[in-house]
Amino acid sequence: MYAKVYGETTCGINGEQIIVEVDISNGLPSFDIVGLPDTSVKESRERVRAALKNSGLIFPMTRITVNLAPADLKKDGSGLDLPIAVGILVSSGVLQQEQVDDTIFVGELALDGTIRQIAGVLPMILHARDIGRKNIVIPAGNCAEGRLVDGIDVLIPASLLELVEHLRGEKVLDVLDKEAICAAATSVYDVDFAEVRGQQVVKRALEIAAAGGHNILMVGSPGSGKTMLARRLPTILPPLTEAEALEVTKIYSIAGLLQRQERVMLERPFRSPHHTISSSALIGGGSVPRPGEVTLSHHGVLFLDEFPEFSRTALEVLRQPLEDGYVTISRVQASLTFPANFIMCTAQNPCPCGYLGDRKRECSCKQFEIERYHRKLSGPLLDRIDLQVYVPRLEYADLQSREAGESSAVIRERVIKARQLQLLRLQGTNLYCNAQMGRRELNKHCQMEAAAEKLLAKFFTALGLSARSHDRIIKVARTIADLDGSDIITAAHLAEAVQLRTSLNS
Amino acid sequence: MTEARQRLGKKGEDAACAYLERKGYVICRRNYRCRYGEIDIIAAKGGELSFVEVKTRRNLNFGLPRLAVTYAKQQKIRSAALFYLQQENRHQQMLSFDVIEILVEGNVARLHHLPHCF
Repeated sequence: MYAKVYGETTCGINGEQIIVEVDISNGLPSFDIVGLPDTSVKESRERVRAALKNSGLIFPMTRITVNLAPADLKKDGSGLDLPIAVGILVSSGVLQQEQVDDTIFVGELALDGTIRQIAGVLPMILHARDIGRKNIVIPAGNCAEGRLVDGIDVLIPASLLELVEHLRGEKVLDVLDKEAICAAATSVYDVDFAEVRGQQVVKRALEIAAAGGHNILMVGSPGSGKTMLARRLPTILPPLTEAEALEVTKIYSIAGLLQRQERVMLERPFRSPHHTISSSALIGGGSVPRPGEVTLSHHGVLFLDEFPEFSRTALEVLRQPLEDGYVTISRVQASLTFPANFIMCTAQNPCPCGYLGDRKRECSCKQFEIERYHRKLSGPLLDRIDLQVYVPRLEYADLQSREAGESSAVIRERVIKARQLQLLRLQGTNLYCNAQMGRRELNKHCQMEAAAEKLLAKFFTALGLSARSHDRIIKVARTIADLDGSDIITAAHLAEAVQLRTSLNS
Repeated sequence: MTEARQRLGKKGEDAACAYLERKGYVICRRNYRCRYGEIDIIAAKGGELSFVEVKTRRNLNFGLPRLAVTYAKQQKIRSAALFYLQQENRHQQMLSFDVIEILVEGNVARLHHLPHCF
């Protein structure tokens, strides 16, 4: 008997439908899975056998051949246990083919027949919906992801037996309720910008970075508060839009990081990898490529503390994702493209000893040491950082001042307003913020007043700016204008953008 | 091997032969032995030569009888069959490797023929 059941696997950050064909024929008992299964799929033979037996169902003692189509796609993960088990039940006559035709099955089987949660369910559901399936069966442990997707009925049976009873119409399972992705208006942080004394310039730069999605570099002597400031960046980021939240959740679903949090990603991710990180951990890697830190910080912040301490290769691989907003990782098994649109926030000391340019302490570094320290950050990398600010040492008076700074909520309010302007402007382009604009959007949305144009021309030649920094300065100026609520970029906006980019050079 | 078990095997093979003959097979050899192994029954029907392994069991404590025909056993039967064909000078022959399992429970025996097994 032949049966055809649909399953799903993931390929990059997208779902992919797998047709599971099961054939049962007479002969000595055997159970073969063909169609490029990897080890975890091959092992599903033992799980399926035991799960069927322990559910009180019959595992046919005949020749079973399972084919996973398309045959050229490498299948991994344990999510194919369930469609294989259902396929066997159909071909051995326990279920009828038409009972499973409209449904996609996803889940790992435990030996006792319960259905275990797996990674990457959200992209699978999205894909199932997009190809027009009516139902999808997912593990109960993944129900948070199941609630997110409209337009498809999601079922969460606890066990294989429950599923069989449902498919036979003996006991009907409830369809999972949908839940709207609500903005994280309630997100609570244990830090706040109000706690930071002084540092007005840096706060302003961080506000601009958050508002337009620009990269930022903070340079300062030890203890001046670089890390403290960076940690507060997430508190002023705008909430994820629905489309963004879905995308971020998809990535975390595939990385298997959702299971621990058991919820949808409602806040922008903030990743701060240690500086010993390898280049493949940063951009993604592995024989079947997995997302790296740049992808995990998609639509969020990648914070690199002690920037020059990162290995040279790790830093240089950042160049391409910073420019393109995605990474393509090619390995023997697969070549995958992951999104990587993030705000890069970096912090470093001005020199190895940390006190170069400090008002109170003498720098003890030799000239060549300083040069070597700076050489670690290549020109092309620094060229991609829009906002470069110095974090000065605090004076005693600043520290003692009772005057509370602006709270994160107030700053966030302004950031959200600026982002809304951008979203409106970039509607229908798949772009979410100023930093993502390309040449076309730049020409269309960045009108400058005559004085600003003149000023830019002057700066361009005087400071020897690159074509890239030219574009990037305009984008930052656009963000500053947005914060200002201005349609047109004025000379003041542009001057601030140039100043924030080049203040470190002098 | 105890005598009782040998007797059971013999009885099973007799029953299998009777079954095959009823189905129109002609028994060519029984218990064919060579240095490569042993074949329980060699039977012919319609130009096809079948090499039959008979497995008899009294209970299911160790699984179905057919599960006892392991890969190693299959290979043994294969090489013995090849040797037989060479001896008999029968080349270009249609072949079939079958298993007949017999389950004896009390006075009832159930026979199951699995043609073209391996």
